[in-house]
Amino acid sequence: MSAPLLAVDDIHAAYQSGVDILQGMSLAVPVGGFVLVIGPNGAGKSTLLKTVFGLLSPHRGGISFDGRAIAGLAPHEIKRLGVSYVPQELNTFPHLTVEENLRVGGWTIRNDAARLRARIARVYEIFPVLAERRRDKAGGLSGGQGRMLSVAREMITEPRLMLVDEPTVGLAPNLAEQVYELLQTARQSIPTTILLVDQNVSDALRHAEDVVMMNLGRVKAAGPVVEFGEARVRELIQECLLG
Amino acid sequence: MFSTELVVQTFISGTMIGVLYALMALGITFIYSIMRMINWAMGEFYMIGSYLQYALVALLLGPDLWWLAIPISAAGVFLFGLVVQWSLLKPIFRKPPEARDDYATVVTLALLLLLRSLATGLAGPNQFSPGSDLPVVMVGPLPMAGARVAAFVFALVALVLFYLLLRYSWYGLALRATSQSRVGVQTAGIDVLGVDRIAFGIGVALAGLAGALLAPVFLVYPTNGLITTVKGFEIVVIGGLGSIPGALIAGVLLGLIESFGAAFIDSAYQNIYGFALVLLILALKPTGLLGERGREA
Repeated sequence: MSAPLLAVDDIHAAYQSGVDILQGMSLAVPVGGFVLVIGPNGAGKSTLLKTVFGLLSPHRGGISFDGRAIAGLAPHEIKRLGVSYVPQELNTFPHLTVEENLRVGGWTIRNDAARLRARIARVYEIFPVLAERRRDKAGGLSGGQGRMLSVAREMITEPRLMLVDEPTVGLAPNLAEQVYELLQTARQSIPTTILLVDQNVSDALRHAEDVVMMNLGRVKAAGPVVEFGEARVRELIQECLLG
Repeated sequence: MFSTELVVQTFISGTMIGVLYALMALGITFIYSIMRMINWAMGEFYMIGSYLQYALVALLLGPDLWWLAIPISAAGVFLFGLVVQWSLLKPIFRKPPEARDDYATVVTLALLLLLRSLATGLAGPNQFSPGSDLPVVMVGPLPMAGARVAAFVFALVALVLFYLLLRYSWYGLALRATSQSRVGVQTAGIDVLGVDRIAFGIGVALAGLAGALLAPVFLVYPTNGLITTVKGFEIVVIGGLGSIPGALIAGVLLGLIESFGAAFIDSAYQNIYGFALVLLILALKPTGLLGERGREA
């Protein structure tokens, strides 16, 4: 097996010292993979993504991206290495236009005007509705379009790894399916690797290749998606909740 | 009745001073909109700007080059702002956001006391005046003090530059984006603490510029920033915290109300009229003229 793109090794991290949310979490994401992280509320799934992106520093353990240690780096440094993070909250700038949002997304390549223009044009090609609304304020977009802009903004830099946190929360079921297609589009068109955290387990399982189940800040079970049938997932979640 | 000439003159002088007050308010509201903190030492940056202006004119450049001293004073305050952000504020902002604005309040209040005491210690409690040999200027049929007209023109130029920076530069885009979502700019790969540094520098430079421009009018002494800061906060309340157009409109409004109050009611109460407007706004529209109902960090 080749070296993983992202390797998280026994990390411990906390928002307040003494209360570790991640307690020895480890996982590996292969190049080009689609890894889904599931688990009950409070398992530390979102914290895992925040820690990988540098919004939180692990006080123990290591994180490496493409063979390079990244634990302790600031988010803008990690972004420059080719990691993108799509947070759970709608990640747009409501008072900027759609196009300005995309330009902010291209901050790290702002000195290469031609490349930036080409990337924005490509995003408009993939998501024509954003092209139509390029001069509108992002705050006026619908929920689904806002989500589309959040993901599209992260595609501008053509990251090698996308960290995606519960992209379908609060969306109608038909929109949720569109969001998964959005991620697949990003994955194939860039192409990129995806680490997805999701509560919408049954839908997300249809798109993932590997699954990691978290509980209490560490791995409860992990393996290829075929091992995570509906019955097994239900059983695992019951074990988590009942202890 | 009142003479037309007096009304026009009052209107012009009110607008002129209002634009200078607006500089101060703009600095307060700009720092708030990016960093979500109030810089309570704003008046001390104004004070430093006025001392720099005085020192440059009196000791180095001479009165003829007063116009050159102004951008140098503002730039000096900008650099000092960068140092303050880097040494005192950045360590707070590197941690998770709990009680961040409380710490920032304590730090900037301590800075206020330190800077005032330093000014008293270094230059004494004396009042200085860089003087102004600018001639009286005729604005239409009306004579205006040259120093005030020059201050007004400089302030307008600074406001236009500020607008162009925000509207048309990459850094302006980053600043506008940061005011809307700090996490959002981090996901875009922008160094948010670096944006803070520039924003703090620009915000205090606006105060320093006001200090330099108003030095011949309101003089130079350790607590000279107090009145202007109070007016800055009045404007922020009137215009709405975090709103840049609100700061400009409310600044001119405050200048006008003070001028008309002083001219037609009683000049002894000049500083009271603005407070009456603040009370009125708080009663009718507590978020200010252009303020937002609530903003999330």
